[in-house]
This record gives sequence, C-alpha cells and structure tokens, in this order.
Amino acid sequence: MGVDFMHEISGAQAVVETLRQEHVKYVFGMPGGANLPIYDALLDSGIRHILARHEQSAAHMADAFGRVTGRAGVCMGTSGPGATNLVTGIATAYADSSPVVAITGQVPKAMTGRNAFQETDVIGVMTPITKYSIQPLSAEEIPSGIKKAFYIATSGRPGPVLVDIPKDVQQEVRDIPFPESVEVRGYRPYVEVDPLAVERAAEMLVKAEKPLIMGGGGIRISNAYEPFQAVSELLMAPVITTLQGKGSFPEGHPLCLGPIGMHGRAESNKLVSECDLLMAVGVRFSDRSTGTFSEFCKQAKIIHIDADPSEFNKNKQVDLYIRGDANQVLTKVYNALARRISRRSDSNPWLARIAQVREEMKSIPAYTDYDSELSGPKIVRKMREVLPPQTILTTGVGRHQMWCEIHWRVLKPRTWITSTGLGTMGFGLPAAIGAKVAKPDVPVVDFDGDGSFMMTENSLGTAVDEKIPIVSIIVNDRSLGMVEQWQRLMYNRRFSGVKFGNSPDFVKLAEAYGASAKRVTTLEEFGKALKEGISLDSPAVIDVPVSSEEDVFPFMPPGKSIKETVVGPPKEMAIF
Amino acid sequence: MTALKILSVLVENKPGTLFRVTHMIRLMRLNIEGLTCGVTNGGDRSRITMTVNGDDATLDFLAKQLSKVIDVYEAQTYSPEEVTARELALIKLNLSSVSHLDDRRLQGARIVETSDRSITIEVIGSPAEIDRFIHRFDSTQILELARTGTTAVPKG
Ligand SMILES: Cc1ncc(C[n+]2csc(CCOP(=O)(O)OP(=O)(O)O)c2C)c(N)n1
Repeated sequence: MGVDFMHEISGAQAVVETLRQEHVKYVFGMPGGANLPIYDALLDSGIRHILARHEQSAAHMADAFGRVTGRAGVCMGTSGPGATNLVTGIATAYADSSPVVAITGQVPKAMTGRNAFQETDVIGVMTPITKYSIQPLSAEEIPSGIKKAFYIATSGRPGPVLVDIPKDVQQEVRDIPFPESVEVRGYRPYVEVDPLAVERAAEMLVKAEKPLIMGGGGIRISNAYEPFQAVSELLMAPVITTLQGKGSFPEGHPLCLGPIGMHGRAESNKLVSECDLLMAVGVRFSDRSTGTFSEFCKQAKIIHIDADPSEFNKNKQVDLYIRGDANQVLTKVYNALARRISRRSDSNPWLARIAQVREEMKSIPAYTDYDSELSGPKIVRKMREVLPPQTILTTGVGRHQMWCEIHWRVLKPRTWITSTGLGTMGFGLPAAIGAKVAKPDVPVVDFDGDGSFMMTENSLGTAVDEKIPIVSIIVNDRSLGMVEQWQRLMYNRRFSGVKFGNSPDFVKLAEAYGASAKRVTTLEEFGKALKEGISLDSPAVIDVPVSSEEDVFPFMPPGKSIKETVVGPPKEMAIF
Repeated sequence: MTALKILSVLVENKPGTLFRVTHMIRLMRLNIEGLTCGVTNGGDRSRITMTVNGDDATLDFLAKQLSKVIDVYEAQTYSPEEVTARELALIKLNLSSVSHLDDRRLQGARIVETSDRSITIEVIGSPAEIDRFIHRFDSTQILELARTGTTAVPKG
C-alpha cells in the first residue's frame, strides 16, 4: 500500500487535496470562522463550491448528489451554528442510507470544552445520526481520516460520515502523508454470499405458485436494477416497491404493480396479502410500508435480502435471509433459478388474479374521483406526459409527495429522489439543485408543497446565482395539506395550525430571486409552463393553486394493517 | 420477559468508542446495572462488559445494532449461566462494628487498609456472592462501598 507525502502543506490544503484524490468536483456549504482555512484552500483547488443559503440545504444538496451518482456528496459548515444547521440534512441522509461526507470546522484544540465562541460538540450531537464520525487531531491525520470517511460513507449500507476538524489542525503546516488506500479495522461491509441460502431461495421461488417481489432503496444503492428485473421476468413474478424503492423496477413494465404502503397503490396493498412467497430486497420493512407488522403478508413465506444484517427479523420475522450486496445476491439467485427453470409463461392463475385485481382497482375513487381542473393526480399525470423519461423528480413531504407515489411513473434508475425515512419538508428544492449539479444534462424538477417549499425557498438564491436551472412546481393549497387531511379524517375536522394566509406571492417571490415564474390555472397552462420551464437555462417556478380539500387516497391509516387500506374519500370509506 | 443479561462488546481502544456504545443502550431505553471496561491482549482493543436488564428480543437487536457500530468488532449477549463472571467490591466498615479482625463475617475477604476508625476489605466473587457478602452487614456498619461491576468471559 503506497503512501505519498506532500511537503510543507497546511491541514486545510490536505483537506482539499484529499477531496481531489477522491474525485470530488463539487462541495456545497457555507464558510465561517472555524473553516476559513479550508475555504481559502478551496479557492485554488479547481473544486467548485456551491454557496448554500442555509447549511441544511447544503446537506440536502450533497445527499441528492449522492443518491443520483452513488458517490458521496460533500457538504461543509463552520463550527457551532453551521454544524447544528447541518443536522436535519444529515439526519435525512442517515434515514435514507445516502452517502454524504460532511466536513465541519471546529474551535481550536486548546479551546475545546471551554464554551468557546461557536463551540458545539458536533460529534456528540451527530453520533446518533451518522454512520461514523472522525476528528483529526493533527494535520497528518487528515488525508487518512477523510479517505476513511468516503470509504465508510459509500460502502455496505451507505450513510453520512462527519469529519470535524479543529481550526488549528487546519492551519498546521507539515509534511503530510497521503495513503493510497485505507483500511478500517473491524468494519466488514461486504461478505461472501452464502451459497446454500441462494440455493434455498431458488428452491422456494421455483415452488411458489404466487410469488411477489419487493424492491427497496437497496436496489438503487447496489445498482441491482438489471438482475432484479431479470429475476422477476424469469419467474414472471410481479413487483411491488417501497416508497424509497420506487423506480427500482421500471414503472411502465407490465410486471410492475407500484409502491405499497400508507399511500401505496391499491393493487399492491391488496395483492401483498395474497401472494404465497415474498422476496424482499434492500428493504427494511418500515411501518410506513407495512402497516401493522404482524398482519403484513402473514400468509406467505418471506425471503429477505439485505446488506445490513441488523435488518433481519427486526420488524418482520422471515423464513430465509441472505446477507449481501443486492446486485451480487440477485445475480446468484438468477443463476440458481436459470439452472432450474426457463422463463415462465405469462399465463397462470396468479397472473390472471393480478390482472383481475388491476381491473377492479381501476375504478376506485382514489384513481378516478377528483373534481377540480387542477387536482394532484391530474397534475402528476400531466407532468409525466410532458417530461422526458430521464427527468429527475425530487419532492417535498406531504400530500403532493404521495400523489407522486401513486401516480408518477419512474422510468429510469436514480430519477426518483425523495425523503422517506425522515420525511423532511424542505428537501425538494435543495435536492433538485444537488441532482442538477450531478446530472446537468437531464431536466430536474422539484415537485413541492407550499409548506415544504417555504422551509428552504432561499435555495432559489443558490440556483439563480450559481446558474443551476431547475424547475420548482409548487402545489399550492395554502395549507399543510397532509396534516389538514389527518385532522379532517381523524380529528373530526378540527383544523389546528395548518392554514397559511396568502403570504407569500410565490410568483413575486421567485421573481425577486431572479427566477422566472408563472401561475397557472388550467392543466393545459400547466403543461405549457412546465415544457417551457425545462427548456430554460435558468431556474423556474410554477405556482399551481389547488384546493386544500382534495385528500390523497389510497390511505392506510396509521396503526392499521395493510388490509385496511381505504381506497376513496370518507364518504365512501371503501376498504378492500 | 426481562432478565439480567451480560453484554460483551469488543471495541477499538480509542476516544469516543464507549460513547458510541452507551448511546445505543440509551436508545433502547435500557439501564446499565454494571459496566467494566479494560484493554484486552494487544492493548489496541478493549472489552466492555455490561450488565443490563432486558428481554431477549431487545438484547438480540441491541447486539446486532452494536455490531454495526464502526469501532465495534463484535457484540454478544449472554445469560448469567453462560459466562464465568467476576466482580470486585471494596467495602469500608466502621471499625466499631467489627469487634475483632477474625470476625466470622470477614471470612473470604482480604483486608486492604485499616485506620483508627475504619477497615477496608476487598471481596472478589460472582455478583451473587458479592451480594451475599454485603448482606452480612447492616447499612450502618458500611461506611462506603464500591463495586466494579461484572466482567465476564463465556464458559467452555
Ligand atoms: C420539517 C418537517 N416539519 C413538519 C413535518 C410534518 N408534516 C408532514 S407533511 C406536512 C405538511 C406538508 O405541507 P406541504 O409541504 O404544503 O405539502 P402538502 O401536504 O400540502 O402537499 C407536515 C407539516 C415534516 N414532515 N417535516
């Protein structure tokens, strides 16, 4: 293992040099007293710094960059408030297993623990929401520390890693070693796939008469799209996904049923209780996906494939689990299947049943019954008509996100970027910026709620100044719509703290930032504005006023089982 | 059903590791009844041994979560019967309460310090033996008491 030395350089220069060695081209952040040396070194580095308006947004940008590319996104903040502002963004990345390296400045070592100006124990604050944290205590430790951060953030089950660097360490001038590669003792992100388990899985899959396959975020993380699709097609087994796994299988494919969960597709929520075998890949059986754990898919045998062994039997007892990288495991499972069977026929009782349920569900109120010209489902479908397949869609959190879950079709890998584990309002716009930086050649659209948008709207300043042409669509119901829905359905229409007034005027707000902006009142206008928006080389905002009374269905109420999914507005209260 | 369990965690011997480990235990809302920590052979690793009260499922899950912590090599839970466990107690007794140094209640202990008003003894044994030893005295006779908490290795 080679080690190169750079002579007489500062710790801050070592930070930047290590980033270059890790092929980092962009960092998102904000400077301050404790990271000034790093910012000074950045200036001569060739690395582009994108100035956020709030460190939370910088973290979301880095997170989305990571989700789109699979490489760690980098964000930076100063000590104290800079670091604490990163917290929501880092927790969001942690909850969705997204690779991020966060670099914070820290007060000089000699001031540590003395309540120095802008001192926060950021490692203490972030330990529960990071995969690891590293604090180099001398400049010599910087390259190996940062390389470890990248390795840990991107390997196994990815996650954010914090590197907290005291200012005096950034300023030390030394001969600094740059190891070619690093090792983290005791950390084994990859294991040999158990060949016997693979054979058993193949046996179970071949025997199953009503197999169903479930894809989660792990498919994206390990780029397992191809073997995932191959296994499904070989078995002719239909596919459901989690919300994070949406798009792990092309959503236009005849075998794709779509997401399950609190606002999953009705077909998926129904059929998961009818299969006799569920093979779940890269999922964690979160309560938002499964409803009551004990009722979920209890009639079936379950195979669980995941990189993280602590997920096995955590929420759901399974019959067989296989630890490993989804891509590797699925490739082996495919080979084991291909030795046993050839491509199954597309006519059998299970597929007939699937077709029947699909037909029945076509007419549920959730899919057909919305009165207004601009209702969520219609907007989302219009959007799919207008936007090319490779478009990356990001979202805020709320009803608008759930309309996408149900009605948006993800056609290409890594084009669906949304906060599911933490459900962080304010994710959409900065995530769109991070995604556009990663993929400047594809359209990037933030489909947002007014409440979510307002949380990080100042990122428009970043988009305009840095010339990052994204489009934000604001589904503007002047309300925290999702919460309003819960209050309507579960709190007897007692609306508490959910209604906004008329402030702000989003068109004027966007224009004040220098973005182009339109308010639309018909679907046709919306379609036109969107087409125009993605053709611009500057950011655009489309304000879409909607009624706050159109709720999102299907809906599996919290604390209920997936069999109690409600498929239409409460006047119908139609359950399966 | 909750019961006392021994949690044995082999970790990297460096700053912050104990914090990462105890954070997970706090997250699972468990109380640490006893905790010992010391370097193991080689010196660059430490073994943390904790006694916690919890149900099997919670502790299994905790061990899996701990195994995931980057600086943790391995984490295992054991029931008390599965390990050889030892604990040390230092007990400072009011001298007036032990009339003579061959008091039968001192049997099994080692006298490690005496002064004109107190006598400090050391007892080593399984946690239950230590409990029983302490019960030989009433609380007015004990001036101070310190127990190390259990350290343990699996049997066999
Ligand atoms: C940071 C944050 N605060 C609060 C919530 C709770 N919450 C979930 S959805 C929601 C309403 C979102 O409103 P909006 O963004 O306008 O979307 P809509 O539901 O109207 O489509 C709220 C407040 C959250 N998810 N994130």
